[in-house]
Amino acid sequence: MNKTVLHAPAIGRRGLMGAGLSALALGADPRRAAAASRVNIECDAGQNELPFRWNAAALETKEGVTPNLVSLPFVGQYEKLVTDLTARSSAYDVLVFPPYFLGDFQALGFLRELDPYFSLLDPRLADYLPVYRDPVIKRAGKTYALMFDGDLLQLSYRTDLFNDPKEKAAFKQKYGQDLAVPATWADFMKVAEFFHRPPHLYGTAFYAARGFCYAWFVNIFAGLGGHWFDAKMNPGIKSAAGYKALSLLVEMKKYAPPNILQIDYPTLNQVFLDGSTAIVVQWDDLPLKCENPKMSKVVGKSGFAPCPQRSYMPYSRVMAVSAFSKNPKDAYKLAAYMQLPEVGITYVYDPECGEDPYRESYLKPSAVKNHLGQPTMSPAAAANYVDAIRGGLKAGYPELSIPGAPRYIDILDLYVNQALAGSLSPKAALDACAGEWAGITEAEGPERVGKAYADWVASFRKVGLAY
Amino acid sequence: MPAAALLAARRRFAWWLMAPALAMFAANAVFPLLYALDVSVRNYQLLIPVPARFVGLANYAQIFSDPLFWSSVKVTLWFIAGVVFLELPAALGLALLFASLPRRAGVAVTVLLVPTILAPSVVGFQWAQIYNYQFGPLNYLLGLAGLGHPVWTASPTLALPSLIAIDFWEWTPFMVLLLFAGLSAVPRDIIEAARVDGSSYPQIFRRIMLPLMRPVIGIALVLRVLMSFKTFDIIYILTAGGPGAVTENLAYYTYIQGFRYFNLGYASALAVIQLIVVAALANALLRLARRPGLVGTA
Repeated sequence: MNKTVLHAPAIGRRGLMGAGLSALALGADPRRAAAASRVNIECDAGQNELPFRWNAAALETKEGVTPNLVSLPFVGQYEKLVTDLTARSSAYDVLVFPPYFLGDFQALGFLRELDPYFSLLDPRLADYLPVYRDPVIKRAGKTYALMFDGDLLQLSYRTDLFNDPKEKAAFKQKYGQDLAVPATWADFMKVAEFFHRPPHLYGTAFYAARGFCYAWFVNIFAGLGGHWFDAKMNPGIKSAAGYKALSLLVEMKKYAPPNILQIDYPTLNQVFLDGSTAIVVQWDDLPLKCENPKMSKVVGKSGFAPCPQRSYMPYSRVMAVSAFSKNPKDAYKLAAYMQLPEVGITYVYDPECGEDPYRESYLKPSAVKNHLGQPTMSPAAAANYVDAIRGGLKAGYPELSIPGAPRYIDILDLYVNQALAGSLSPKAALDACAGEWAGITEAEGPERVGKAYADWVASFRKVGLAY
Repeated sequence: MPAAALLAARRRFAWWLMAPALAMFAANAVFPLLYALDVSVRNYQLLIPVPARFVGLANYAQIFSDPLFWSSVKVTLWFIAGVVFLELPAALGLALLFASLPRRAGVAVTVLLVPTILAPSVVGFQWAQIYNYQFGPLNYLLGLAGLGHPVWTASPTLALPSLIAIDFWEWTPFMVLLLFAGLSAVPRDIIEAARVDGSSYPQIFRRIMLPLMRPVIGIALVLRVLMSFKTFDIIYILTAGGPGAVTENLAYYTYIQGFRYFNLGYASALAVIQLIVVAALANALLRLARRPGLVGTA
C-alpha cells in the first residue's frame, strides 16, 4: 500500500501555518497535514456527507488527503454535474452519484477507469455483495466506480399490530387467512386495507411525490414479473404486468394518508416513525431510524422483511474519479479508503446518515453499530434487519443503468405521478411513457443502447439475479 | 470644411460612440438569439456522443405533436389568466385606497412592497412552510375553524391555484405601486371639476380616472403577463411541476427538456416559440394601450 503523498503542493509560511492549524483542529499530525493533498468531493448535501466528515482526520493522517466537500442539492444533482462535466470542469475530483448516472457518465467519458489505480490502495472488491460488484460498478469488465451506499427497498411493519391476537382474529375473519407479513402484492393490499383506520392509523404510505414515485411502481412491477425492456428494446412497462402494477399503486392511495402525493423520503420516514402507519415500503435505512429513540415512537415495535416477490434497488451511491480531476491518484485513494471494509462498516449502519451495506462482511447482526461503535438496535432487531437485507438482495431487482437511464427514469416518474394524480389512467400513463421511451431509444441509437442493456442484464444474471 | 463633410464626420463620430454599446448588444442579445435559432434546427442532444445534424423544422413539428407541450401551454395560460384577473382588480382597489389616505400613509405602500423585494427562493421556501399539510400555519388555522386540512401543493385541483395565490401575494404590491403612481398623476382639477358638476365617485372613477390610467394599466398588464409567462422559481421549489404535470408551465417544461434531458435542439425550439409568443403578446398589449380612443387619449 503506497501511502506517500503524490502531489504535495509547494507551500509557503502562511500555507504551512494554515495547514498546521487545520490539522491540529482535526487532531492530526501537522507535519503530515502540511503535505496533505486537497481532494474535492462532490456529494449531495445533507446526511450523506457525514461519512466524509467523520473520516476527514483519518484520511489526512492515513492517506495524506484532505477532503473538501462540495455539496450539491439532491434535486438537480444530475443537471449540475452534467453541466459542469460537459464543460470539462476540474471542480470535482471525486464524484458521488447514483449508479443510474453511470451509463451516461461512462459513455460520455466523464469518468476515469479505476483498475490502474488499484495498486495504490486495494479496494478489496472480493468482499462486495455480487449484486453491487459487477452490475453496478463495472462496464465492459472495467471498474469505473466504488460503492458508497447500497440501496434496497424493503418492508417495515408494526410488529405490535401484526402480533396482536385481536388483530389476528379480526384479519382471519375478514380475509380467511392468517395475518402475516405479506409475501405477495395481493396480500400487501389486504394488510393495507385492514389496518387503514384514519386519522390515527393509516394502512400504508409510499413515496408518491415527483422524483422517486417511479421506484415504488417498479418495485411492484418487478414483483409481477416485469422487465425494463425486451431483447429488441421495446418498453416492458407497456404490458399487463405494468398496467397491473400501476393500478395497484394507484389503489394503494386509498389506504394512505391524505397528503400522499406530497410524501417523499423524509415524510415517508416520518409517517412510519411517528406510529401513524402500519406498513411501508422504504429504503433499507429506515430500520436504523426506527430503533433510535431520538427519532422514533416505534422502537421495539417494528419488523423488517424483503418486499413481496422482488425488492427493487433504487438509487444507491457510488464514488468515481472525474476524468477532469487534476489529482486523480489522491482522488482514487480517498474513494478507495472510504469503502474499505473497516471504514464502510462505521457508516453503513449509522442512523444519522443514509448509507446502507454493500459488502458481504457487513451482513452480520453484530456489525449493526453507529460510527462510534455503539449498537444501534437490539440483537434481535439487528438479526431481523440483516436477514431482511440479505433476503431482499437475493431477490433484488437492479435500477436501470444504461446510457439514457436518467431520462428513461425521469419520464417514467412523470407518468407514474400523472397516474397517481389522477390526470391519466394507469394504462394511458404507461402507454404514453412507452412512447417517450421509444423516442429516447431512437435518439440514443437502438443498437448502442440495446447492446448496453444486453450487457447490463447479462452482468446481473451472471451474479445469480433472476431477470 | 464643407457642411456635408462636417455632417459625415459627425455621423461617423456618432457611430464610433455607439459602437461599444452596439457590440455589447450584438454579443449579449443578437448572438445568443441566432445561436438558439441555429440549435433549434439541429438534433443537438448533449448526452448523446454523436455530432448534431441539421433536421430542419423537425423539432418544431415534434413540439406541436407533444402532449406535454400542450399541457404546459394550458398551465401557462391558466396561470396568466389567474394572475391578471386577480391581481389587476385587487391592485386597483388597493391603489384607490392608498390614494384616498392622508399623504403620510403612503409609507404603507412601501411596507406592502416587502413580498416583491424578497428573493424568489425565500418566497418559495416560506410558502412551502405555510402550505405544509401537517405543520403549516394555514392548515392549523383551518383546522381550528373546522375547515379540514387541504393538501395545497400536492392536490391536482389545488396545486395551480396555490401557486397563483403565491404569485398574487408576491406581485400584487408591484401592481399597486404602478397603479398608485398612475393614480397620483391624474390631475386633481379635473376630478374637482367633475365633483362640482355633481358627478358621483363611481362616475368619476369610470369616466375620468380609469381612462386616464389606461396607459399605466396597459404597462402593468404587459409587465405582469410577461413575468407570469416566465414563472419558474415557485414551481421549481414548491411542486417541481407536479403532481403529474398539473403545474408544469412552458418555462418549466423548457427547463426540463434543456437542463434535465439536455435535449438542446428541442429546448431551443421551445424557447424560440416562447419568444415569438411573448413578443406577439407584448406587442398586442402595447398596441391596445396606444389605441386612440381606448387608452392614453382620454
